[in-house]
Amino acid sequence: MNAIQFVLALFDASGGRLQGRTLLQKKAYFVSLLSGVDPGLDFNAHYYGPYSAVVDSTVAQLKNLGFLGEGCMGYGVSSDGFELQRYDYTLTADGQKLLAALRASPEYRSVASAVSKIKKAGDPGYVELSIAAKTYFILDKRGKPMSPSEIRREAEKSFNWTIQPGSLERAVKFLQQVDLTEDAGQEQAV
Amino acid sequence: MSSELEIRDPVHGFIFREPTEQGIIDTSIFQRLRRLRQLALAYLVYPGAVHTRFEHSLGAFHVACRVAKQLHLPAEEERLVRLAALLHDIGHGPFSHVSEDVLKKHSNKEKIKLGQKQQVHELITAQILRSNDELGQWILEKDRAKIIGIIEGQSGYSILHDIVSGPLDADKQDYLLRDSHFCGVRYGIYDIDFLIGSLRLHADADDKYLAISRNGIYALEQFVLAKYYMKTQVYHHRIRLITDQMIERAIFLGIEKDGIGWLRDLYAYDGTEEYLKNYVSWTDDRLITKILEEPAGTRVNSIFRRLVERRLLKCILNVNQNDFADPAARMMVFAESDKFHTALEGMIADHFKIDEKDLVICKLVTFPSAVKTESQVLVVEPGRNPSHFLQESVLFGAVNQAILEQRFQVYAPVTYRDERDKNKRSREFREEILGMIGKLSEQQGSESQSGPGQELRIV
Repeated sequence: MNAIQFVLALFDASGGRLQGRTLLQKKAYFVSLLSGVDPGLDFNAHYYGPYSAVVDSTVAQLKNLGFLGEGCMGYGVSSDGFELQRYDYTLTADGQKLLAALRASPEYRSVASAVSKIKKAGDPGYVELSIAAKTYFILDKRGKPMSPSEIRREAEKSFNWTIQPGSLERAVKFLQQVDLTEDAGQEQAV
Repeated sequence: MSSELEIRDPVHGFIFREPTEQGIIDTSIFQRLRRLRQLALAYLVYPGAVHTRFEHSLGAFHVACRVAKQLHLPAEEERLVRLAALLHDIGHGPFSHVSEDVLKKHSNKEKIKLGQKQQVHELITAQILRSNDELGQWILEKDRAKIIGIIEGQSGYSILHDIVSGPLDADKQDYLLRDSHFCGVRYGIYDIDFLIGSLRLHADADDKYLAISRNGIYALEQFVLAKYYMKTQVYHHRIRLITDQMIERAIFLGIEKDGIGWLRDLYAYDGTEEYLKNYVSWTDDRLITKILEEPAGTRVNSIFRRLVERRLLKCILNVNQNDFADPAARMMVFAESDKFHTALEGMIADHFKIDEKDLVICKLVTFPSAVKTESQVLVVEPGRNPSHFLQESVLFGAVNQAILEQRFQVYAPVTYRDERDKNKRSREFREEILGMIGKLSEQQGSESQSGPGQELRIV
């Protein structure tokens, strides 16, 4: 499965629509982790969490070819005067036509099953998924079990993140529900 | 600074270097870069574009020195990043990037494992740095490993790698200005002084990042635009794309069809010292001369003769995705299906009775989003959390998504009697090739759906 097929499968299994580029990136990150399908997305740990330039350019290519539609929604203005926008993507009718052959492949089924696992775990929004991605990244990088408060301190110290009360706990719960971490006493382990 | 250790450069003015750096520059492996042109055969379009990897390496070195000073890097890091920038292109071969695909195709797959984004010349660079005796006289073994780590972006070298090979790297900062200067265009000009002055080092507990200050956003916008215009006007110039494809096809045919052993040896990278010794003995001119000494009937000779006499292929089709109503055809053409392109080349040659069938070339040209690599550059300001360039740039935040473009082009050895003939035949080429693509995509689509036990594919 190549990156184009992976992204098409991700959209199809997600009901044909994903709202926001951050959500798209984080979903692609967790789906590639959970499905074991590695189309060379090459996620890099950047300041704001795992980011794949391959996912970005594949979405741009699919949009360019008319297989994904893009909508931009403005939702106010930030404190420093910049307009805040969210980009939503939808599988087009032409994109749907391409999926007929893809749906029968074993990789598609793995992607669909990973998407379904995320849904069953509460289908978190982009903020929670971002925190979950960072948490998983920190645990993976430290290579040792950590308590939620240690993770929070690490996230704030390392990434200057202000995590809202409850968000980290929800992220940890999500990671446990999708079997990416386990409870190691008071601590979490990858 | 000793006046003996300065070089007058047409782009940056004086370039100063330390005795060790001068020692490296004086090695034969570095001097070889004087005989590798930076832009291959771009001088067939821009006659001034005869500059080489040698002066570009010096330029990238100079920019890296300036960036290191701007960031107040510790002396040891500064020393290493200067060396890494100086040596970053040491593994290039004849025609630089143009022959990379040939290297990829013919390298020994059992011995050489390429990473997702890795290029063969980068492996050769690392091998040269590890094993070249002349360089060994100037660089300690432990430093060689560090320089390779910086160039390859190994863990622990993020900031130094960013300076040599990141979105705002010294490589790009030099080549945009240098290529503009030698091509005689103004597309690649940007305010390098302001850009370097706005670079900042942003550190967290894990790593250090190359960032820009808020007031550097406009200089970075200008830099991104310079890169975009250079890509559209120089690097992807119509004739340059044609000459690059002719070189690639000629070398491929020289190996596959003409069976020329020395040519295969040049591109069959296997990681051995014997290979390396041969590889570094080749330069642009030596390769052209040797190919032109091959028998007149060989394909490689014939195509290179066309190149040196400037009898170039013509672009007989130039379309984008909007020319394909059928999604399957659109996907086949633009998802880089090699099998599809090869089949189409054969059909076109047969249909239009083109004698040199193997000179019909299908090529997908991608103009990526102008701001693709820079979108994640951090913008920093005291008292605020860092943000991404794309969030902060009013210009690119608005236009980024409109820039990606893919074009499908077909080149062929045709000639036109006059402008009228050209217009008439161009219409015929377009109409008939689009018809062929429709038929071929139907044919290949049904094959891929009905093949027993075949893997299911989109294309």
